[in-house]
Amino acid sequence: MNIRCFQRNFSAALPPLVPLQLPSPMETHLWYVLPDEVKSWGLLNQYSELLSPCEREGVNRMRGDQLKKRALLARALVRTTIARYQTNSQMNPRSLKFRKNLYGKPEVEWRDEDNFSPLPLQFNLSHTSTMIACGVTVNVPIGIDIEEKQRRTKNNLIAFAQRYFSAYEVKVLTTISDPEVQRQEFIKLWTLKEAYVKALGKGFSAVPFKTFTIRFRETTLRNFHPPGSSVSEASDIIVESFDDPTNPTNNWQFTLLEVAGSHYGAICIKKDRTAGANELMKLTVWKTVPFVEDVCVSGTDAVVDLGRIIEQ
Amino acid sequence: MASSTGLSLKFSPLSTSFKQNKVLLRGICNVNSVSLPSRGMRLGSLRLRVSCAAKPETVDKVCSIVRKQLALPKDSPVTGESKFSALGADSLDTVEIVMGLEEEFGISVEEESAQHILTVQDAADLIEKLVEQKSA
Repeated sequence: MNIRCFQRNFSAALPPLVPLQLPSPMETHLWYVLPDEVKSWGLLNQYSELLSPCEREGVNRMRGDQLKKRALLARALVRTTIARYQTNSQMNPRSLKFRKNLYGKPEVEWRDEDNFSPLPLQFNLSHTSTMIACGVTVNVPIGIDIEEKQRRTKNNLIAFAQRYFSAYEVKVLTTISDPEVQRQEFIKLWTLKEAYVKALGKGFSAVPFKTFTIRFRETTLRNFHPPGSSVSEASDIIVESFDDPTNPTNNWQFTLLEVAGSHYGAICIKKDRTAGANELMKLTVWKTVPFVEDVCVSGTDAVVDLGRIIEQ
Repeated sequence: MASSTGLSLKFSPLSTSFKQNKVLLRGICNVNSVSLPSRGMRLGSLRLRVSCAAKPETVDKVCSIVRKQLALPKDSPVTGESKFSALGADSLDTVEIVMGLEEEFGISVEEESAQHILTVQDAADLIEKLVEQKSA
C-alpha cells in the first residue's frame, strides 16, 4: 500500500474545526488537551500530518513514545487552536507558519502569499505530562504556565525558593506551617512567575525570578446589590519589579486557576490600553480533542478561579 | 515501510549517523561533541571559540544529576549530546538541575548562562569554566 495515498485519504476525512469568534480585548481563551484522552493511532497520525517537517523532526527527537506524543499534541493544539479563529474561510492548520521572536518566544508568521487574512492573535503554550494548554488573546502579550498539583521538587522547597525567589516570596512561603499547603503555594507561585516571564517574552535571563515579587494584594470591593451595600475583601495578584522602572508592572493582569482538578494554571496578559483600570480579564476555557470534541468548561468544576478570594 | 496504521512518524531511535549530521549542521557551538581529527595535538590543548570539552567525570556527574531529577531508569541512555528538553525536562526540572549542579560543584550559575544550556555537554562545559574561574 502506498503510504502517501493513504495519508491523503486520511486528511480528506478530517472534519472541519468549529470556527470561533476572536476573543475581545481583555478576554483570554484557554484550550487544553489531556493526552490520556487521545489514544487513537489514526488520530495521532492525522495530527502529525498538520506539522511542518521541522516540527516533525522535533517530535522525533523526543526520547520515548510518551514524550513524542506530548510534543506532537502540543504542536497540533497550537495549530488547530489558531486555525479556529479564521471565520471567513477554512484555514488549514497545516498552512500556518511559526517563527521565534528576537528572544526565542514563538509567534505566528503571517505571510502575504498565504490565502487567509492575518489575525491579531497572540498565543502561549505550556505542557505537563498530563495536560497541554494553549492560551490565546487578541493583540496583547500572553504567558501561561501549568503544573500538576501533585508536583514535587527534588530539592528542598525553601532552599529552592531562597535560591530563585525574591526575599518577600521566601518569607511568605516560610511562614506557612503546613508542608502540604506550603508545597501547593510554592507550585502556584512558580506558575505565576513563569507566566509573567513568558508574557514578557524577553527570555528568562532578561527577568530573573529573583528580580520581581508576585503577591496577593488586599483590595476592597463595595457591593451595591440589594438589599444594601456591603464591603467585601478581595485579593488581587500583582507583580512588583525591582529594577525595571521603564516597565510599569501594573500593566499586567494575572489569573490563577485550578484546571481539571489536577493542575494549577497561571495566565498573565498585558492590559489593553483601552481597558478600564479595574476591568478584569474575562476567561473562557475549552477542553478539546482537536477534530473530535470541544467542550466549553468555563463555569464548571473543571475551572476554579484561585486568584480572587472574596470573603464577606 | 507500509503498515496498517499508516504512521508517518518514525517512533524509533534516530540512527547514529543522522545524529552526527544534526550536530555538524548546528555549527561551531557543538564542535565539542564531534571528535576532531588528530594532528599530533592533544585535543585538550586546542583553544576553540567555546571552551574545551569537559572531562568525562564532569559529564558523568551531570548525567547522574539529570537522571535523578528526571527519574530516568538506569538503563536509559544519557550522554553529553542528550538534550534536556528531549529527555522531558521542563523549565522547573531545568532550574532544579542547575541548582543541583551548583551545589555539587560549588559554583553559581547566572540566568544568562543557564539559558544557553541545552545539552548535558553544555552544562558540563559551563561547570568546568566556572570552576576554573573560581580557582583562578
